[in-house]
Amino acid sequence: MIEVKNLSKVFRKESIEVQVLQDVSLSVQKGEFIAIMAPSGMGKSTLLNILGCLDKPSSGEYILDGVPVQDMDDDELSRIRNEKIGFVFQSFHLLPRMTAWENVILPLIYGDSDGDLKDRAVKVLTSVGLADRMDHLPRELSGGQQQRVAIARSLINNPRIILADEPTGNLDSASGQEIMKIFRELHSSGTTLVIVTHDMDVARQTDRIVEMKDGRISNDRPTRSPVEAAI
Amino acid sequence: MRMFRMGKQALRAMIENKTRSFLMMLGVVIGVATLTMIASSVLGARAEVMGKVEKFGLDQIMIMAGAGRKPGVPQPIPTTLRVEDAQAMMSEIINVKDVSPQINRRDFLVKSGNKSSYAIIAAANPNWESVWNTSPESGRFISSEDTAKFARVAVIGKTIQTDLFEDEDPVGKQILLGNNPFEVIGVLEPRGTAVSGVDMDSRVVIPLSTGQKRVFNQDYLFMIKVALHDASNMSQTVEDIRALLRERHNLQKGVEDDFTLVTPTQVMNIASKLSTTFSLFLLLVSAISLIVGAIVIANIMFIAVNERKPEIGIRRAVGARKNDILAQFLMEAVSIALAGGILGIIIGLAGLKILSGFMKLPNAIMWQPIAVALVSALIVGLLAGIQPARKAAHLNPIDALK
Ligand SMILES: Nc1ncnc2c1ncn2[C@@H]1O[C@H](COP(=O)(O)OP(=O)(O)O)[C@@H](O)[C@H]1O
Ligand SMILES: [Mg+2]
Repeated sequence: MIEVKNLSKVFRKESIEVQVLQDVSLSVQKGEFIAIMAPSGMGKSTLLNILGCLDKPSSGEYILDGVPVQDMDDDELSRIRNEKIGFVFQSFHLLPRMTAWENVILPLIYGDSDGDLKDRAVKVLTSVGLADRMDHLPRELSGGQQQRVAIARSLINNPRIILADEPTGNLDSASGQEIMKIFRELHSSGTTLVIVTHDMDVARQTDRIVEMKDGRISNDRPTRSPVEAAI
Repeated sequence: MRMFRMGKQALRAMIENKTRSFLMMLGVVIGVATLTMIASSVLGARAEVMGKVEKFGLDQIMIMAGAGRKPGVPQPIPTTLRVEDAQAMMSEIINVKDVSPQINRRDFLVKSGNKSSYAIIAAANPNWESVWNTSPESGRFISSEDTAKFARVAVIGKTIQTDLFEDEDPVGKQILLGNNPFEVIGVLEPRGTAVSGVDMDSRVVIPLSTGQKRVFNQDYLFMIKVALHDASNMSQTVEDIRALLRERHNLQKGVEDDFTLVTPTQVMNIASKLSTTFSLFLLLVSAISLIVGAIVIANIMFIAVNERKPEIGIRRAVGARKNDILAQFLMEAVSIALAGGILGIIIGLAGLKILSGFMKLPNAIMWQPIAVALVSALIVGLLAGIQPARKAAHLNPIDALK
């Protein structure tokens, strides 16, 4: 699903260069559920943004779903974001003046879909347990509920992969658990998920943990060791 | 479909921010309101001028005795213009269809019993009716018998009828022109005001022969009105008439004409001048308002782009292309400008209604000014929106999401 080879990212500010990612190689199979872990400032979001086609690597290769994307132009990347990728952010990033269902259909506005968009929003919102919050504005919803609206939005276009940047970072542990439960359900129905976190309790619930340090992958292991799994 | 959905979102953004949207509209509202008023009044004035010129007759020329005459402005006149001049034009210039030689006198006192009024006396032949295209609505016009007998008969205009007889039927009644008693034989159909501002309905027409012998005691003319066969040959005919009259009046080379030729084009020019100053002033107000309106919209849009960075980032993250963001902000600017335009048109038309109570303005709603106003608003929206929209479109989505 994701093939990343020797990926680097350098930020330039005036004459100062910051090497955020260095020679990162990573492959994620279809249906996998992985966690990327690292302390703050280590380049997790930067990597996720590149995986999500929101940002471009300074060098290296990125093959998404069999398609090399590192050389695509802005319009092509927008289309990929629209059709293949679902984003979930730490601070939800809902449009404050739009109701839950209107937020959910936002990706459809930029696609080719027609038909009753609200119908589709209702289905997805129901699947994240918000059937009765359809017409609420974000500020009328709890943090956990807002994040579930954001997940519904990321799912509306049946994406190939869900990318979540610290999705539980702004939530209490109970709400965080609800979000993780939804992710696990998505995983068991075959969706590929990559989440960034620095919470071990969250990472433990995935299949595989990729740890980063100083812009490099320092550790990449299954969540349960073969020994653990055998017990 | 995509554009339609995005357009709907632009309208929402405008409605959600009513106060701000209204502020953004204000300049456009004022600009378009004045523009609507200008365009309507200019077009209306032009229509009115055309109407008057048509009344004057597009195929007609007026020859007035005396040099440098203006229609409706009295001045002493020479004695050189004669009935024989009119007859010569008729027989020697092919394009001349008919001629009406006349003696005219303005502000002439007419009386009936204890009522009086001031009339324009026109002493003319029976063909005055066809040359001026004005017929009696009741009674009859002057006949050749009247002319032959120096009859004291008069055909009077509506204003004179009302002043002297109110609702009574004047036909058969006596009036006094100065001290001469005349019998009213007809009432002319109404003709309104001429380009010169003269009330055409204050005319009293009497036989030319009677005027010469019994009223004015003069044989020379005040004017000759000429009807042409072919109006497209106007300028050649004017030159032919001028040459003929100069020859008949024995005017040497270098000597000024002792008559004045007035053509429909000249009449049109006189009438057009009236509304120009007022229009120019309004045009200036309108242009300034539209420019200020555009600047206000552009500035508030720049602020909005900054405030709405997260929204732009979110839209980009879920698949909006740069052009989608550009279109969104452009549509917002344009819908605000258009809404301002529509409001401006309504206010402009209302203003026109109110103003037309004070001064002579047309109050028919015309589609051209509305189209002009809407197109101006559209252009203002596009010009004001393009830079902020480009800025929004080129934001880095990651920076926008921070
Ligand atoms: N646009 C940018 N310009 C310059 N430096 C940046 C930019 N974005 C991120 N960085 C730097 O890159 C490093 C990694 O950031 P980030 O990927 O957000 O880390 P994490 O998500 O792991 O906290 C940080 O030191 C940050 O300051
Ligand atoms: Mg981060």
